[in-house]
Amino acid sequence: MTVFKGFLILVKRNLAIFFLYFMIFMSICMMIQASVKEEDINQFQERSLPVAVIDRDGGRLAESLRDYLGEKHQLVEIKDDKKVIQENLFYRNIYYVVTIPQGFERKYVEEGQRLKTTKVPGTVSAYFIDQQIDTFLNDVRILTRAGFSVEEAAAEALRIGKMDTEVSIVDKSGHGGWMAPHAYMFRFLPYLFLGVLCYIIGFVMIAYRKKDVRRRILCSNVSLKVQNAGLVAGFLVVGLGCWLCCMLIPILVYGKGFLTDGNLPYYLLNSFAMMLVALAIAFIVGILVENENVVNGVTNVISLGMCFIGGVFVSISVLSEGVRKAARFLPVYWYETVNGIIGNNAEFTAAQSAAVWRGLGIQILFAAAFLSIGLAISKYKRQE
Amino acid sequence: MVTITNLVKRYGSLVALDHLNLEIEEGEIYGLLGPNGSGKTTAINCMLAILKYDKGNIQIMGREMSPDCYEVKKNIGVVMQNVAVFEQLSVWENVDYFCGLYVKDKKRRHELVEEAIQFVGLEDYRKTRPKKLSGGLLRRLNIACGIAHKPKLLIMDEPTVAVDPQSRNKILEGILELNRQGTTVIYTSHYMEEVEQICTKIAIMDHGRVLAIGTKEELKGMIKTGETITIEAAALNEEQLADLREFPHVFHLTYEEQVLKLRLSGAKHNLVRILHYLEEHNVTFGRVFSELPTLNDVFLEITGKELRD
Repeated sequence: MTVFKGFLILVKRNLAIFFLYFMIFMSICMMIQASVKEEDINQFQERSLPVAVIDRDGGRLAESLRDYLGEKHQLVEIKDDKKVIQENLFYRNIYYVVTIPQGFERKYVEEGQRLKTTKVPGTVSAYFIDQQIDTFLNDVRILTRAGFSVEEAAAEALRIGKMDTEVSIVDKSGHGGWMAPHAYMFRFLPYLFLGVLCYIIGFVMIAYRKKDVRRRILCSNVSLKVQNAGLVAGFLVVGLGCWLCCMLIPILVYGKGFLTDGNLPYYLLNSFAMMLVALAIAFIVGILVENENVVNGVTNVISLGMCFIGGVFVSISVLSEGVRKAARFLPVYWYETVNGIIGNNAEFTAAQSAAVWRGLGIQILFAAAFLSIGLAISKYKRQE
Repeated sequence: MVTITNLVKRYGSLVALDHLNLEIEEGEIYGLLGPNGSGKTTAINCMLAILKYDKGNIQIMGREMSPDCYEVKKNIGVVMQNVAVFEQLSVWENVDYFCGLYVKDKKRRHELVEEAIQFVGLEDYRKTRPKKLSGGLLRRLNIACGIAHKPKLLIMDEPTVAVDPQSRNKILEGILELNRQGTTVIYTSHYMEEVEQICTKIAIMDHGRVLAIGTKEELKGMIKTGETITIEAAALNEEQLADLREFPHVFHLTYEEQVLKLRLSGAKHNLVRILHYLEEHNVTFGRVFSELPTLNDVFLEITGKELRD
C-alpha cells in the first residue's frame, strides 16, 4: 500500500503537466472543429457570372447555346473587338467570353470543332462554365448522331439544361452525413494519452528506479511481489484516471449528442484500448529513460511522431501510400481507423464491423507486445 | 545479534570478501573500519540480502538472512552510503514513506515520523524538498528515514561522508542516543576518529578480510606502538639520530623537513628522556607532541600502510 500511495503522491506532484497537455489538446480540438464548421455543408454553391457571347455564326445551335448560358449566367452585350473584350475582362465587367465562329454549327456537328473562349485567368468559376458548355454541346452532338436535327437537338439540350438536380448527402453518420463532432475530439485523444502518460509515468518510474531508492526499498519488509503489485496498481489507477477525465470532456462539451450516440460503446472501447497502449509505451519510457530532463524530449518525440504518422494531425486518407503502409506498424493508425469508421457510420456493414474489431484487437496486441518488451528490458536491467 | 561465518564474495577474479567472520552482540555499536574498497559496503549489502554471496552464512537475530526473510527485515533499519530519498517528496513525506514500509498503522506511524524528524533536528524543514537541503541536512534526512520505525538493529554505511562537522557531531550523538535506547548499531566508516568516538567494538578490514577485532583499547594493545613523539627540531646530525635510535623503547624513527618522529613501545618517561638528550646536545627544538596510539597506528602496523591512504 505504501508503494502504491507513494506512486500516487509522485503522480500528484506531476499533475501540472497533465493540465498543460490538456490545454494544448483542447485548443487543437477547438481549432480543428471551428475550421470544419466554417466549411460545413455549404462548401459548394452554384454562382451566376457576367458572360459575353460573341456570335459570328448566327445559327440555331449558337442561338441555343446563348439561351443556355443566359439561363445560368448574366449575359453581357459587348462589341466584337479584341481590345474591348480585354478591357472588360481586366475590369471584371465580364469573367468569360465565348466566341462562336462563322460556320460553327456545321463544323461542330461534322468535325467536332471546339469553341474559342477567353476567361479571367486563375478563376475557378470559369472552369465550371467550360464544363457547362461542354455538357450542352455533347448533348447536342449525341442527339444529332441519334437522328435528331440540329434544331431539335439544340432545343432538347436546352430543356435538359434547365432541369435542376437535387443533391443530398447520404446521412450514414447520423450527423447530416458528416463526422460526429465528438469524433474529432476522439481523433486527437492519442496525443493526450501518449503525452500525459509517458511524461507522468516516466517521471515516477525514474524516481522508483533510482538505484539507491530501489535498494533501500528492497531492504524493507515489503516483499518484491507487494512492491510490484503497488506499482501495477499505480499504473492502472493513473491510466484509468486519465481515461475517465478524457471521457468527461465529450460529456461536458457535447452532452446529449455524445451520450445518445449509438456508437458510444465503441468510442469507449477504442479510447480504452488506446489508453492501454499509451500506458504500455509509458512503461517502456520509464524503464529506458534514466534522466528526468530526457523524459520531456522523449515524450514529445513519441507523442508527436506517432500522431503525425498515425493519422491524428493529418487524416489517414491524406497520407501517402508509403506512409500509410509504415503507419500500419503503429497502434495510433489502428485507433484512427476505428475512430474514422465509428465517427462516419451510424450503422456498420459486416466489413466495417470486422474492421472495427480488428482495429481494437490490434491495439490490445500492441499494448501486450509493448508491455512484454518493457518487462523483458526491466528484467535485463535488473540483472545488470 | 549478527553472526557472519566464512563469507566469501567475488566479483569475477576480484575477491571482495575473503572468508569474513564477524560476531556482533546485542547492544553494541560495532564499527567496521577500513579504507575504501576494503569490503565494508559489500559486507553490509550481503547482510541486507541485497547482494548474493558465493559462500558462507549470515545469521541475524537467530535466522539465516535471505531476501524474503521479512520477519528479520522489519527489525532492521538501514542508512545507505548514498542518500536514498525521493526528490519530489518533502522531508516529512520521505520519512513517512520509508516508515510506512514497516509500520502500517497511520496514527502510530505519524508519531514515529515526528519523533524521527525531531531526533535528527529537521523540525524546521518538514515541508522542504530534499534538493533544497544542504549535504548535512540531507544525510540527517537519510538517517531519519532509516531509524523512524525504531529498529532493533541499525546498519549505517558511512553515514557521515561529505558532512560538515556540526552535522557530523549531531549524527554521532544521535547514534549514541539510539544505542542507549537499546538499538544495536553496525557502523562502517573510513574515518577512524568517528569509529574511536562511538564504537564499543571495532573490526579492522582490508582486502575483504578482518585484520583485527576488539575494543579500541584491545586493538591498541595489540600493537608495539605505545607512544608517538613528534618534535620540531632544527639541524639534527646523523650521529644524534643514531643515538636516538638506540634509546630504550624506540623502535622507529624518521627525520624529515626538520620534524623528528619517534615511535616507542609503551613505557613511562620517554618524552622526558628524549628532551633531556636534545638539551644536552644543544639541539634547538620547537613544538613537541606526544600522542597515544590511534587506530591508524594499529592499521599501519598491521598492513604497513596508512588508513587514510
